[in-house]
Parts: sequence; structure tokens; C-alpha cells
Amino acid sequence: MGILGLAKLIADISPGAIREQELKHYFGRKVAIDASMCLYQFLIAVRSEGAQLTSVDGETTSHLMGTFYRTIRLVEQGIKPVYVFDGKPPDLKGGELAKRAERRDEAQKLLQAAEEAGNAEDVEKFNRRLVKVTKTHAEEAKQLLQLMGIPFIDAPCEAEAQCAALVKAGKVYATATEDMDALTFGCNVLLRRLTFSEARKMPIQEFHFDKVLEGLELNHNEFIDLCIMLGCDYTNSIKGVGPKRAIELIKTHRSLEKIIENLDTKKFPVPEDWNYKQARLLFQEPEITDPETIDLKWTEPDEEGLIKYLCGDKQFNEERVRNGAKKLHKARNTSTQGRLDTFFKVLSSPNPLKRKVEDSKTTNKKNKKGTTGKPRGRPPK
Amino acid sequence: MFEARLVQSAILKKVLDAIKDLLTEATFECSDSGIQVQAMDNAHVSLVSLNLRSDGFDKYRCDRNLSMGMSIACMSKILRCAGSEDTVTLRAVDNPENITFIFESPNKEKLAEYEMKLINMDQEHLGIPETSYSCVVKMPSQEFSRICRDLSQFGESITFACSKEGIKFSASGDYGQATVKLAQTADADNEEEAVVVNMQEPVKLTFSCRYLNCFIKAGPLCAQVQLSMSNDVPLVCEYKIGDIGHIRYYLAPKIDDDEEN
Repeated sequence: MGILGLAKLIADISPGAIREQELKHYFGRKVAIDASMCLYQFLIAVRSEGAQLTSVDGETTSHLMGTFYRTIRLVEQGIKPVYVFDGKPPDLKGGELAKRAERRDEAQKLLQAAEEAGNAEDVEKFNRRLVKVTKTHAEEAKQLLQLMGIPFIDAPCEAEAQCAALVKAGKVYATATEDMDALTFGCNVLLRRLTFSEARKMPIQEFHFDKVLEGLELNHNEFIDLCIMLGCDYTNSIKGVGPKRAIELIKTHRSLEKIIENLDTKKFPVPEDWNYKQARLLFQEPEITDPETIDLKWTEPDEEGLIKYLCGDKQFNEERVRNGAKKLHKARNTSTQGRLDTFFKVLSSPNPLKRKVEDSKTTNKKNKKGTTGKPRGRPPK
Repeated sequence: MFEARLVQSAILKKVLDAIKDLLTEATFECSDSGIQVQAMDNAHVSLVSLNLRSDGFDKYRCDRNLSMGMSIACMSKILRCAGSEDTVTLRAVDNPENITFIFESPNKEKLAEYEMKLINMDQEHLGIPETSYSCVVKMPSQEFSRICRDLSQFGESITFACSKEGIKFSASGDYGQATVKLAQTADADNEEEAVVVNMQEPVKLTFSCRYLNCFIKAGPLCAQVQLSMSNDVPLVCEYKIGDIGHIRYYLAPKIDDDEEN
């Protein structure tokens, strides 16, 4: 899932790139949501007494419940969500997907064992590990979104890549996902915890890609190489190279090619036939729909349609659904608060930034001489 | 070395009261010409621009330009410790880590010193262009405060409509509607109580009550408030601070989205 340990690495080395904000500060923002990620969240989290919510015939409805209520919560705050669904996985992801299937099989076995042993806690734990977002889940969610008047996009390939493209094209403000690889795809603003439950009271985490690069003192291509070393979904990583060593290596050598040349392969065996070049290409030029051809439209919710869809077979409470539809309607028809930065230009803050640039220059020079980058902070006074 | 002394600490107390609801922290830029603060609230909807000129202070010295990040809540707490008759002095060294507030009682018998840690801040600075506004309204600040408080009971936002005749404030919500009209004062004998409308073009703008209700906290600073408005641009709400400077609030209007319809 995503990039191993990237969030922690950024928090350690470049804390300035992460900002925490309350949900209510995102009014008026258009946000691309990684649908597969959040459906998965809902399937895991929206439960009652440990079991997924189901309709009469035992079909899961957790994902619909989650999509319906959490989307309403966003819309009520004045946020305009657009959901982006995964297309076919890229060929390189085959290995990762096989691994996930394997883990699932293992969980299945463990689940059986736990059931036989009658260990309720373990049963629940392994049950959750078995959760998978299926085509049907996605299709049902799309149908629901359509009735709610919320736009969605079918990405040709990876949803994160499409989200990143939307952000880059200025179609939306940010990508909302827990997967850090949206950054690797070059998404400038990444939001985490946006679709979390309100009850958890977790502020939204905002990652700014330009600040991440500035903080790590890398360019985009070097950042991609760093992510491949940390461990991504598309290829293996070098054994024994953790986040700390990875950032040291990339700062000294500036590319994977050079790193492999200079690395003591006895100590750190590079995987055989390492296809990092293809993985890199996948991050640089992912398969996406041209964002300029995408037209995002938020429309009136179809109240009767929602009732028919949710309260029929899916057995949702009619009153609640009607309430939800009213909220959607009301949010659509209230004017949104403007922001000052759309009227006035942001001038970069004078002194601290200048100092930062000088600082990074000097550390770069040091790096060329072979020493490693030290953690950044303010220059001593 | 930076030192600024005000005989009336009450002014500084009121200034803090006027910004503490909007800002949690702010950078105070001190130079030869005075003290300036420009800061947005967390949501970037409103902006506070505070200007205290050096000649307004009873004593002012600033050898090097300083920008000092301060916690507004903390500063407000400290100023609450000052008596209203006290003289207040702000003092900091060059490259400061701390700022000292010194309160002196009128009879010089009591001297209190409070030291506050400065904070490191990366703040975005906005460039605000000089614009001429379609409507400039001057009115008693008490009246403005009253209208904002009254109307905010009816809805989340207040619509300001300004024409030749005067200015109309309205709000609507689940309970009903409320409107307050103010006509231009015919003969302005008492300047402090006059309503003066200076209009090039009529305007109509909607603003959030939450922010307006923060702005009116500056009411005690000045008997008159000046509202500058043009369609589709932020409101400017200005209070003079005695002879020493001013505080300006900028507020982004609410926008009807019709692009998606």
C-alpha cells in the first residue's frame, strides 16, 4: 500500500511540509477522493458489533452507508468532492497484488482456525483482513453518487495518478487519500484523514509536495527514486536499505543508477532483474485521462431515486435518507464563503524563506563532497 | 534594541481585544516607522492589518528592523495584568528570543515586568493593492456593532446593500427575516454620530456574521467605523486608533456558485 514509511520520513525531515487543519477550513474547495481507498475504509470501519452492515439477503452495505453519510458531511462543510475510481491495475502491480492475495489466503486460514478455537477477538481481526473492495462495491457506490449528484471519474489505471493529474491541472485543490504515492505522482496537495469518521476527531493532514521537495532537498525525479527505494507497489526494494539509508543514498548519488554503481552489493543485495526503470516511468508518465477533457458537475440530489435505491433492498431508514438528501440540497443552495487569497496575491514571507534557500544551497555543496545531509532546521542565529 | 512606550496601556489592551478572536499568533514587524501586523485567520477568510505609527508612541526606538512572532492569546493574558492607568513599555534586544512588557503605575510605585517567549513563524504575506471602492460608508461604530449582533440572530450571513439613500443590512434564516436601513445623516452637527455615504456605484455584498462579530470587538477603539466596499471584492472595515494608527479588517465575501448550475 502506497510508499513504505514515507509519511514518517517527511514528518521527521521536513515537518514544515505537513499542516494540520480542521475540516471546516476546507469550505469551497474541490477535492478528488481516491474512491477505492475510502470504500476500503468504509468496509473496515462502518460496522455494527464487529460485523459489516448487510441487507436482508446478506449483501454488504457498509460501503454505501459510508459513502452516503461521509459525503454528506463533506458537502455540508462546503467541500465539493469528486470520487476517482481505479481502472485496471498496471502490469507491474501484479507482484504486489499476488502478495496481497497470498496474505488474504493466509488470513482465511487463520480465520478458520480462530473460528474452530472459538476466539472471537481473532475472528474479528482476521475477518477484517479479508476485506476486499470488489467491482460490485464500486459499481454500487457509483450508482449512489450519481443519485446524490456527486461527480465521479473512472481512471484508466491508478486512481492516485488521475487525482494527481487533476490537482496539477488545477481542476481540484487536493487529493484525498491515505496512500502517500499520490505525492510520488506529483500531486501538489495531499489530504489525509478527510473521510475519517467525525467521532475520531482527527484533524486533516495536509502535505504540500513543493515543501516536501524543498525540505528533503530533492527534485521530483530524485523523489521518485527515493520512493522506489522505500518500497512502492510496483517493484521490489533493496534489502537492508531503510528510510534513513535511502535518503542518505539519494542525496549523495542523486539517482538509482548511481546508487547501484556505488552500493556495496554484498551488504545490500540489489534485487535480480530489478525493473526500477519501469516503475519510475510509471510514476513519471502514468496512464491517465487528460484532465482538460474532464468536466466536473455537481448536481441536485435525486431524493426519490435515493429512497428507492437505499430504502428498498438495502434497507436504509427512509427518514434518515430524506434528511440526508435535504442536507445535500441545502448545501448546494447556500453561497460559499470566499477566500482572501483568491483576491490578494500571496507574497512569499520575506526573511525566513530567503534564508532557507541559502541554507539548502550550502548543504547541497556539502553533499557533493560526499558528506550526508544533516536534518534541517533554522540556521543558527 | 527595540523600545516602545505608551502612556495609555488601555489602547494596547483594546487593540489586543480587537484581534484575539481572529488570530492565534501573528508576526509584529517593527521598524523605524512603527509597528505593523498583517495576518490572516486560519481559514484565510479574513485579514487583520494593524498599523501603529512610531510618532504615536510616547517614546519609540528601533535600531534594527525586527519581526517578532507572538502568541496573541499569551500577549492578551499579559496585557490583562496591566492596570488601565498604567504606562506600558515593550522592549526587546536585537535578534530577540523574548519580548518584555513593562507596566508602570501612574505614581511610579509599582513596576511589573512580564517576559514572553517569541515564536518562529512562517507566515504568508498578502499584497493588498490600493483600490478605490464603489462605496465608502462612515457610521458610528456602536451602531454597526449593534446591527451585526442583532442580525446575526437571524442568519449566518448579513447582506450589505448600499445605494445613494443609505445602507441596508439584511439577514434571513429559518425564523424569518431582518432588515435595518440607515439613511445618510442630513445635517452632520455631531461628526461622531453621523452616517456618511460616499457612493460611486451601488453595491450588494454578503458577509459571514462570524467574522463581522469579531471585527466589532474593535468598536471601543473608535467612535466611527469606515466600511469600504466594491462588488465581488473583500470588505474593508477600518477603525482609527487615536492618533497613533489604525486597524483594518478585510473580509472575503460569500459567493453564489452558479458555475456548476
